[in-house]
Amino acid sequence: MSQHDPETIKQQALSDFKRYVNPQKARVLKNAGLDIIEGKREGAAVWDITGKKYIDCITSAGSFNVGRRNPEVVNALKTALDDYDIGGFLMCSRQKAELAKKLAEITPGDLQYVMYGCGGGEANDFAIKLARGFTMNSDIISTVKAYHGHTGFSLAAIGRDEYKKPFYPMVPGFAHVPFNDLDAAKAAVTDKTAAIMIEPVQGEGGIYPASDDYMKGLRDLCDENDILLIFDEIQTGFGRTGKMFCCEHSGVVPDIMTVAKSLSGALYPISATIYREELNDFVMTHAFTHLSTFGGSDLGCIVGLAVIDYLTKNKVPDHAAKMGERFQQGFDEFLKKYPELLLEVRRKGLMMGLQYTNDSIGPRMSFQLAERGVMAIYTGNEPSVMRLMPVLEIQPDQVDAVLSALDGSMAEIMNQGGIEAY
Amino acid sequence: MATSEEIMEAIDDFKEQCNGNKRLRRMQRDWTKIIHYKAIDTGDIFTSNVKEGEVLSNEAGAAGTPDVVIECDSETMCDMFWGDINPTQKYLRGEIKVKGSQEDVMRIDAITAIIWPDV
Amino acid sequence: MSIIDDILNETDVDKIRRETEENYRNHVHPFALRMLKNAGLDIIEGKRDGAFVYDISGEKYIDCVTGAGIFNAGRHNRDIADGLKKAMDVYDMGGWISIIRERALLAKKLAEITPGNLKYSLFCCGGGEAVEVAIKLARAHTDRTDIVCMENSYHGVTGFALPATGRDVYKTPFEPLTPGYRHVEFNNIGAVKDAVTEQTAAVLVEPVQGEGGIVPADDDFLAGLRAVCDEQGAVLIFDEIQTGLGRTGKMFCAEHSGVTPDIMVLAKSLSGGMYPLSCAVFTEDISDFLMAHPFTIINSFGGTSLACLAALATIEYIEKNNLPAKAEALGRHFMGGLAGLKQAYPELIRDVRGKGLMLGMEFFDESIGPRMAYQLKQNGVISIYTFNNPNIIRIMPTLVITKDEVDLVLNAFDLSLREIHAQEERMTHKNIQPDKD
Repeated sequence: MSQHDPETIKQQALSDFKRYVNPQKARVLKNAGLDIIEGKREGAAVWDITGKKYIDCITSAGSFNVGRRNPEVVNALKTALDDYDIGGFLMCSRQKAELAKKLAEITPGDLQYVMYGCGGGEANDFAIKLARGFTMNSDIISTVKAYHGHTGFSLAAIGRDEYKKPFYPMVPGFAHVPFNDLDAAKAAVTDKTAAIMIEPVQGEGGIYPASDDYMKGLRDLCDENDILLIFDEIQTGFGRTGKMFCCEHSGVVPDIMTVAKSLSGALYPISATIYREELNDFVMTHAFTHLSTFGGSDLGCIVGLAVIDYLTKNKVPDHAAKMGERFQQGFDEFLKKYPELLLEVRRKGLMMGLQYTNDSIGPRMSFQLAERGVMAIYTGNEPSVMRLMPVLEIQPDQVDAVLSALDGSMAEIMNQGGIEAY
Repeated sequence: MATSEEIMEAIDDFKEQCNGNKRLRRMQRDWTKIIHYKAIDTGDIFTSNVKEGEVLSNEAGAAGTPDVVIECDSETMCDMFWGDINPTQKYLRGEIKVKGSQEDVMRIDAITAIIWPDV
Repeated sequence: MSIIDDILNETDVDKIRRETEENYRNHVHPFALRMLKNAGLDIIEGKRDGAFVYDISGEKYIDCVTGAGIFNAGRHNRDIADGLKKAMDVYDMGGWISIIRERALLAKKLAEITPGNLKYSLFCCGGGEAVEVAIKLARAHTDRTDIVCMENSYHGVTGFALPATGRDVYKTPFEPLTPGYRHVEFNNIGAVKDAVTEQTAAVLVEPVQGEGGIVPADDDFLAGLRAVCDEQGAVLIFDEIQTGLGRTGKMFCAEHSGVTPDIMVLAKSLSGGMYPLSCAVFTEDISDFLMAHPFTIINSFGGTSLACLAALATIEYIEKNNLPAKAEALGRHFMGGLAGLKQAYPELIRDVRGKGLMLGMEFFDESIGPRMAYQLKQNGVISIYTFNNPNIIRIMPTLVITKDEVDLVLNAFDLSLREIHAQEERMTHKNIQPDKD
């Protein structure tokens, strides 16, 4: 680490980033007041290297559920680093076996087998491949404003053109129907349909929870038509919505579930596609046709086990539910106080979205919040929605600090004006 | 040494096992192959015709162009069809010769794994 | 006591094996376990150090698979592991959306050490993912759709990388795939010239085909690709996921031919075998797309703080210890030994070839690859065949292997070949009508 003072380090880092990584990204972040260079990080908070503290409500869209630098998870990885490396990806390993067993235990219903990856998109790609391979059908029904990742199959499942247009053509065979609309899903089913794929709460789509009826309806639809149901729990998983997995709220169990993000414990990339035993028949007859060099690494699996251990031991999903309700009380006040700014609030546990009256308010709010020590941004597929996804163990006083910052920011924007709805 | 009749009996029994296993039939529905089995000590050849996972026929003699050719001594061949040996292990130890893709080798092992899970 | 403590402190080896196999069978990949057992490769990795890996029972092996090039800096490189541990006193992955200082530092370093005018880096976590980025950048940069790639190639198994992979078995069950990919014969510049049109966004090639069977591209071929791409305005992409970071005797394989691509893809050894990281390194011209679309290609795990620190430590280790030069020198010694084996077993071995410490032994008979893997393991070496081409046994040890350890491997090959030869004799002896292959 450099001997220079923090300001110099920061300027050098910004300069290097612009020259060698992504200059426009740096510019956009600076405009939004989010040109933070992360230094110290702990629990719910992160500090810029110049010393300014922020409560992190971005958390890489739900990757830091156990908190930033959770001491137990850090310790587990450090200890593992004394002996392990990534491991032999083709080999049977103890770490893969233990984590898979654990995932089978904590996931609902009869989800039993695990295919590992390192990225979330990769996990979704395998889910789609598995559905195609097992059913020997090709078509996937996805939803408008869905977000599933950027690797080819997942990208085709994404419900927003901006991510796809520059890279046409896409993988064929994907249809997009309105979310939470069972009739639309029914109408889209053909005899070539392999699977229906949804997020139980659309994350990048603007924090839209699927209704219980919708999920139950999809389950029935899939059962009647021999179609597989895929739940992408990459953002919603590991306690985010107040239960270990979001689908537990509705009691609906998918055939395939994907997880990533928080399984990493904010430390180490790992993802997983978890599926029913019957589907393993396809994997059996097509062994080694899907590989992941970094998936299910020794170190990654140890981190995953530490994460699950921590979440279950400390009943973290329950805490998330409680803090979500505390947030809700504050939001209910804002809806009354700032009707010209705030249209609606949608929330499940600590997966929260504030829908503003137009697209421009999001970036302005980010800027104001950053001034007040809170990091937050809009959702990728719905810019009028600001996402708030703090670490799950956020404390009541920190919740209040975020609410206070929101209050101040909204008041400031009301002052500034220029908020007429489009 | 096993006679041609003994091998045909074994291979027909194997056909019944394959065709009667619903799970196997479903798993194999993307597999269509002509397989030749050669007993190298007696010179006997047998042909198995598999279509979309169903063993359509077994016959003595070489028929059609094979996708897979499996060669071993006649005793080993009998043992294989009765499920008394793990053929992939034998293959990797050089006691059974297979001409065909590694995917077919693995697929054949998958078949035996379903029918005789403990071998 | 947490579950981690239980796992890390368990010493009953039989218990570990029993439980591991049962859990793997019930929850991971029962058929893979069966195949590994069939092949005698059901090693459960315990200790790992330098060129070696140990089964939990204590049996020691020289790792010549190394995940097809993940462990150039050695198994469990302590420098990198300790560096990561220290880093964890301050860092975690970092918020992806933030400007991550370590990412910028790594990108700067990559700009320095990669050839020519490769300057910008976009980071992912998996190798296939980075190949996808390269393909996407090429399509976006050129406003074209077609990708010309090689038969027998391997680029990954996710949606944009999979159709580039040159072997049907990986693709057929998952069709239809992304359209626009054309495969041509490797090392055949005429075929490439015929395939490249004004619709071609990119030509994608591995400078040494890894899974294809350790087949180096001819320098002329690579130079020809550069010329065709320049003429037609297509992007030249080198997939250096297996060949990068010293493997072939230079830091990057492209350096041998002097041909610089427009995009170079790296992964595997980039982070020292410790942490998932991959990247696409590209020219300023191509980076213009990111200017106009800064948040169109994103991922949560790409280029985390810890990944970038691990990579910086890895590059430092590779440079300080002259690993590329070592790979070159030892590679020559190795090839000498392999050539000797070819002379000793001419009826079994068709060819030996490679670049640096990326080596392969090609057999006449496809079944010998898997059978050799079994024998080599009995003789203390872990090696497997190349996925697209089972005729070839790949030899890719860590770059920290010593000359004595190379000799051990050569000896293991000798013993294994002797056994295979004996097996062939036994089969021929039984055969009343020996095949004239």
